[in-house]
Amino acid sequence: MINPRARRRRLLRKRFLRRPLAIVGLLVALTFVVCAIFAPLIAPYSASATDFNALLAHSSRHHPLGTDELGRDVLSRILWGARASIEAGVFSTLLAMAVAVPIGIVAGYYRGWIDAVIARLTDVLLAFPFLIVAVGLAAILGPSLTNATIALGIGAAPALIRVARGEALALREEDYVRAAVANGASDARILVRHVLPNMLSTLIVQTTVAIPAAIIGEAVLSFLGLGVQPPTPSWGVMLADAQSYLSQAPRLAVYPGIAIFLCSLSFNLLGDGLRDILDPRTTR
Amino acid sequence: MSLLDVEGLSVRFDTDDGVVHAVDHLSFSLADGEVLGVVGESGCGKSVSFMSLLRLLPETATVGGSALFDGIDLLAASNARLREIRGRKIAFVFQEPMTSLNPAFKVGNQIGEVLRRHLSLSRGDARRRTIELLDLVRIPSPERRVDEYPHQLSGGMRQRVMIAMALACDPKILIADEPTTALDVTIQAGILDLMRDIRERLGTAIVLITHNLGVVADVADRVVVMYAGRKVEEAPVHDLFARPQHPYTVGLLGAVPRPGSGRLQEIPGRVPSLAELPRACAFAPRCPRADELSHSQVPELREVEPRHLVACFHPGPDAEAA
Repeated sequence: MINPRARRRRLLRKRFLRRPLAIVGLLVALTFVVCAIFAPLIAPYSASATDFNALLAHSSRHHPLGTDELGRDVLSRILWGARASIEAGVFSTLLAMAVAVPIGIVAGYYRGWIDAVIARLTDVLLAFPFLIVAVGLAAILGPSLTNATIALGIGAAPALIRVARGEALALREEDYVRAAVANGASDARILVRHVLPNMLSTLIVQTTVAIPAAIIGEAVLSFLGLGVQPPTPSWGVMLADAQSYLSQAPRLAVYPGIAIFLCSLSFNLLGDGLRDILDPRTTR
Repeated sequence: MSLLDVEGLSVRFDTDDGVVHAVDHLSFSLADGEVLGVVGESGCGKSVSFMSLLRLLPETATVGGSALFDGIDLLAASNARLREIRGRKIAFVFQEPMTSLNPAFKVGNQIGEVLRRHLSLSRGDARRRTIELLDLVRIPSPERRVDEYPHQLSGGMRQRVMIAMALACDPKILIADEPTTALDVTIQAGILDLMRDIRERLGTAIVLITHNLGVVADVADRVVVMYAGRKVEEAPVHDLFARPQHPYTVGLLGAVPRPGSGRLQEIPGRVPSLAELPRACAFAPRCPRADELSHSQVPELREVEPRHLVACFHPGPDAEAA
C-alpha cells in the first residue's frame, strides 16, 4: 500500500506539471526572488557605482542593458530594484492578511453588530481606490520602503476583509461546522480548524492578486517619491528618473517597465495554477 | 431510572414573518440504554427539539422548559458546561454524511480531535483509539482509512465515520437525526444494524429521529409520534404498531408499503403552518374523526393503556371506529 501522503504529493506535482503557464509563472517569480536575495552576488556592478565615461550608454559587453544618465549600470539597478519590489509585494501582503483575515473571520462568523460595524467600515474604505489610500497613507507615514509597505498593506486590507468575511459567512453554515459545535468544539477551535483551513484556497488566490498589485503599488509610490528614496534603486525610481530622458534614451523606461510587468505577471500565473491544484475539494 | 428528562420543551423562532412555534410543550424521558424512535413528517419539530437540547439552534430561537440530564438542566447550563457535554456525553449524528465532515482534514484527525479534546489522549493514543472506532463501525481496513480524506469515502462510509466520531467518547446518549435518509436502502440496513449493535455492546441510549416507520419498527424500543410541534402519541414499539391510537399514527401506518396490501393510503392535506398554534387539535383539519370538540380544544395526553399515551379525543386503532 502506498503511503497516502506521498501519493497526494505526487498527485499535486502531476497536476502542477500539467499547467505550463503555472510553471512559467513559478520559474519567473522564483528568478525575481533569487535576484532580490542574491542581488549583491549576481549584479555585475554596485547599484550606485557611476561610470562617467559611459553616460546614457547603449548596451554593450560591459553594460548589457546600457547605463543611465549618471553612468550607472541598468542591469545591476534592475537586479537590486527587485529587492524593493519583492519586499514590498510580499511583506505588504502578509501584513494585509494578518490584519484582514482575523477581522473578516470574526465578522463573518459571529455576525451581529460586530459584523455590521466592520462591514460598513470596510465599505467606506473600499470606496477609495487602492492606490489613493496607499498614497495618502504613505504621505502621512513619510517616504521610505518600510512605510510604503505598511501603506500598501493597509490599503489592501479592506478588500481582503471582505473576502474573508464572505467566506466565513458561507462556511459557518456548513454541516461540518455544525457537527463540530455538536461535538463540543470551542469557538476558537472552530475558527482555526474548520473555518480558516477551508478558506485557504480562496486566500491563496487573493494573495496572488495582492502581491502583484503591491509590486505595482510600490513602483507607483517610489515613482511619486513616496517609497524608496534615491539613490537606493527601485523600478519606480528608475521610471521616474527616466522621464527626463525619454526622447534620448527610452530604453531607460522600457527595461524597468518590463521588469514590473514580468514580475507581477509571473505571480499572477503562479497564483492561478496554485488555485487549481490546491483546492482540496478537487483532489482526486 | 431515566437518563434524560425533558419537561415542557418549547421552541419558537422569531422570523421576519412573525413568530413560528416549532415545538410546543414537549415532554418525554429516555432511559439508560433505550432506543427511542421519534417519528413525524418533515417540519413537525423532531430535529429542532433535539438540537435545542444542546443549544445548536440559531440565535433566532427561543427555548423554554427544562431538560434534566445527569443532574444538570441542559437548557440553563453555561456554555462551557455545555461544551463538556456536547460530543462527550451526548453526541449527534446528522443527516448529511456527505457534508458533515471537514473536507480539509483526514477523517482520522477529525475523530482524533474529539478524543484529544474530551479525553486528553496523546496523538498516538488517539490514533490507536480512532482505528478501533473505525473497526467498531465496521469500516474495512481501518489502518488505511484513518489516513484518507472525506472525499475518498462513499456516503455510507462517511456516515460510519460520523457515527464513529459520535461514539468516540463513549457517550451516554447518541442522537441520530435521520442517519439513513441520505443513503440507499442496502446501506441503510447496514447502518441500522450497526445502531442495534452499538446499543447491545456499549449500552448507549439512542434517539433515532426519522420519518420512516420501518426504521423505527426495526430498532426502537419505544416511539414518540410528533405532529406540528406536539407529541400526539407515545408507546412501546409493539403496542404502537399493533394498536395505534391517534388517527395520525393510523394514517402513517397506512402509508407504509407492505407486500400484498394494495394501494398505499395517504393522509389528505398538509402539515399546518406553525406560525400560529391552533387552540384545537392541530391534526383536526386532516382528520376523519374530527368533530366540534377537536376544532375547539387542544386534546390532553392521556394514558389509554399502560405506557401508551395519546393526545386525541377519539383514540382507537381503527380508522372507522369513530
